[in-house]
Amino acid sequence: MTHVPTGSPSSGYHRYHIPTKPAPDIEKWPSRFKVKVRRTGLAKLLLSEIVHYRGRKDVILSRPCMYGVFSGPVGGFMPREEHCVGCLRCTTEFPEFVRIEHNPERQKLGDSYFTFNYVDQIAYEASSGLVPVRGAGYRGKFGGEGWDGMWTDMSEIVRPTRDGIHGRETISTVVDIGYTPNFLQFDAAGQPVGNTPHYLSIQLPILFDGGDLPRDGHIARMYACAAAELDTLAVLPFEQALGLGQYAHAIVPVVRAEHAQQLGQLGFTPRMVEMHGWDDGLYAAIIAAFPQAIIALRTGFGDAPALVGYAQRGVKVFHLVADYHGRSADGRFVLDLIRDAHKAFVDAGIREEVTLLGSGGMIAAEHMPKAMICGLDAVAVDTPPLVALQARFEGECASRTASRFSLPAGLNEAWGVQRLKNLAASWRDQLLEILGAMGLREVRRLRGEMGRAMFMKTLEADAFAGLLGYSEAANG
Amino acid sequence: MASIAGKTDEQLIVEKHIANFHRGFAYWPRAEEAPPALGDSRWTQDLILATWLMAETGKPPDNGLEYKIGASGGGFDVLDFNIPSEDKWLPADTEIDLSIPLNRRDDGAQLKIDLPMYGGGMSYGSISEHVMQARARAAQQLGTFTSTGEGGYPPSLVPYKDHIITQVATGMFGVREETIQYAPIVEFKYAQGAKPGLGGHLLGDKATDVVAAMRESVPWVSLFSPFPFHSVYSVEDHRKHVDWIRTTNPRALVSVKVSTPTDVDMVAVGSYFAGAHIVHLDGSYGGTGAAPEIAKKNIAMPIEFAIPKVHKYLVSENVREEVTLMASGGVRTAYDVAKAIALGADGCVMGTAELIAIGCTRCSNCERGRGCPFGLTTTDPLLQQLMPADWGQQRIVNMYTAYAAQLRDLLRKLGLHSIRELRGRRDLLKYVG
Repeated sequence: MTHVPTGSPSSGYHRYHIPTKPAPDIEKWPSRFKVKVRRTGLAKLLLSEIVHYRGRKDVILSRPCMYGVFSGPVGGFMPREEHCVGCLRCTTEFPEFVRIEHNPERQKLGDSYFTFNYVDQIAYEASSGLVPVRGAGYRGKFGGEGWDGMWTDMSEIVRPTRDGIHGRETISTVVDIGYTPNFLQFDAAGQPVGNTPHYLSIQLPILFDGGDLPRDGHIARMYACAAAELDTLAVLPFEQALGLGQYAHAIVPVVRAEHAQQLGQLGFTPRMVEMHGWDDGLYAAIIAAFPQAIIALRTGFGDAPALVGYAQRGVKVFHLVADYHGRSADGRFVLDLIRDAHKAFVDAGIREEVTLLGSGGMIAAEHMPKAMICGLDAVAVDTPPLVALQARFEGECASRTASRFSLPAGLNEAWGVQRLKNLAASWRDQLLEILGAMGLREVRRLRGEMGRAMFMKTLEADAFAGLLGYSEAANG
Repeated sequence: MASIAGKTDEQLIVEKHIANFHRGFAYWPRAEEAPPALGDSRWTQDLILATWLMAETGKPPDNGLEYKIGASGGGFDVLDFNIPSEDKWLPADTEIDLSIPLNRRDDGAQLKIDLPMYGGGMSYGSISEHVMQARARAAQQLGTFTSTGEGGYPPSLVPYKDHIITQVATGMFGVREETIQYAPIVEFKYAQGAKPGLGGHLLGDKATDVVAAMRESVPWVSLFSPFPFHSVYSVEDHRKHVDWIRTTNPRALVSVKVSTPTDVDMVAVGSYFAGAHIVHLDGSYGGTGAAPEIAKKNIAMPIEFAIPKVHKYLVSENVREEVTLMASGGVRTAYDVAKAIALGADGCVMGTAELIAIGCTRCSNCERGRGCPFGLTTTDPLLQQLMPADWGQQRIVNMYTAYAAQLRDLLRKLGLHSIRELRGRRDLLKYVG
């Protein structure tokens, strides 16, 4: 199956581009900082400066803040803390009566996994569509567990394009989903026989995973519309896919056993269908109803050898799902789970024949290339698009069935679609940064390239083994 | 408050804020409580305040501030020195030599620096001319070097040219024949650790008229130094670059600044065979005026892991004594310097620490044109006056003086007479993670 990009003439060249435009927050987030000013101290300062500078207004009114925190009608008496960027100039100049603190309300955003720093990042990406750029180097922990214990490689001399993401040449982010045989066979007439490729291509290794969406038709429509405009896919529950036929080529309905007799109600032929857990009858029904569709199995990461078994029964696309914190039922983290699944197919000699999609715990742009290096073909993002739409977590949101998110009032479709497109654009550009640093021209080459990964435990063992107090058993 | 007679409003505004800054920088390190929003895991409140105190006094803090490690939970922060019992220490009056040679080959000038540290590249435009002057004057006073970065060579730096490294990167911004001829050391920048593999980037609102003029570019457009050198795909290609520099300035030493991919050891040995006198490894946790957030933690390895890898490989290739290995990118303290040397470096290149000494709070707004409220990472005509060069020079000198005192004290306790004896002495380190 050859896919023609949306909106492009089949004979013409189509340069992929995501149009971004600002889509500011519709619900105010708590400010990053709290600004506390002791008013008596400020009043005394003003009086002394009025006397000293003899009424030279510009000098007296020159205050330390460049960001407008103290430039309201009554200046520092009512600081506008929403403007504060935490530069600390004011508290440096006036330690006696100005105090800047982190806002605890801001730090409550998200949950224990999707912390407020990630929320901040997503909010910026979704509102601007830009790559977050800041100065002053890295501020965080040295390494850590999970994604934080992994670095990606780079090349000192090779870059795939002369001017990388900003320039004229392209780095491809197209991925193929479906089946490709390890080799082709031809008959005496030169015609292919046996299994032939059956796949679709999307322009991004990012799908919107709404397979466990709260029952809100608005969100499903936004996902579908954004996916259609981005030339990717939105995974939606069967019930929510109904009535979205205008986005047919972008919708992947998730069907369960109880839907086997209702597939005809969909009203369109999807390019891909996700089967929620293996069911013989459902599998047969999907093949009967949508013979051209690619069938994916949506299942937990858990049992890697079992996945190979399903592949031998005909399934060639697997959408592996961890909880929202990236854990499987037995508590293992998604990074290791992906590697296990990938390796199971490599060991079986059929990795090139199958596609692995993954969801759960991938909540930042950097997690996408890391997940692909570990073995995914593409990432199906779940909670990040919700946060892009300014959904707030209600308590801990790890469980796919029990988690609760509240959506902002005034959510409208045009805004939501733009936020999702902005998020995708920002993540794609960040992926290009990583690919460019490595010298890779296309994202497909990233899949399973473990030589491009560096893990903290390995590096630390190489660097520190033999030091007094270092135990490889404890640290490695 | 200063007299106001005969002064313009602008002069008074600058004086007023400078006086307040200086009061604040002196106040906070001695206060009972730190500013609540100051600091992060790598540069903690204590590290920043201790640096301010050292920059003021020239001595290590004695008021309980933790000035040796941060709170990152890894790398330098989980290493310590295995100090022997006091009876093995050298006498307090022992002369301890902190100098290191920068040229270990038999060609070019035999330069040495009195401290095992020099200043890293920061370009005009990313920082103000006052900051460049302060760093250059401090380098001269300390008997070491500082680097222009890639962004031009303001004429005000020429008097200090014997202590200034000229950087050459792919943009060639401000690189001219005379700036190469000024330089005792020319540094090829292949990559910078804070954004490995991504090239240099000065955002549009920092490319002011004066910056654009210096870089022979156009104001208010973003300027890239695309990564990497597109004429270099082999050691032989790199050798041609080195030859070009050596033709223009035969007395210059050549430094090659690279970041830390998996094969950093191969890169280092390749640089040596291309003719480099100095291999400068830049790890991924250092500072820069602007970097994509995704690059900061996620591309290339931290310097703590790269140093022993490269050191061991150079030893195994039997060329370790022919090349100077400098480390940067997340080196914050005198103790970080000592740990880097014990892991195998000859010395370190410092950047962020110098900026903190002159008032940086690490607020991470330096990518903006008028983002730095302390007048450091800006060329805004008013803001840059907030950091006078003579004040900055003294602060930087004081900080390094305090570092030197700590290094001498540490070496004495380790029973070493010279910082050169510390190189590669992993047996003196212990893991405390």
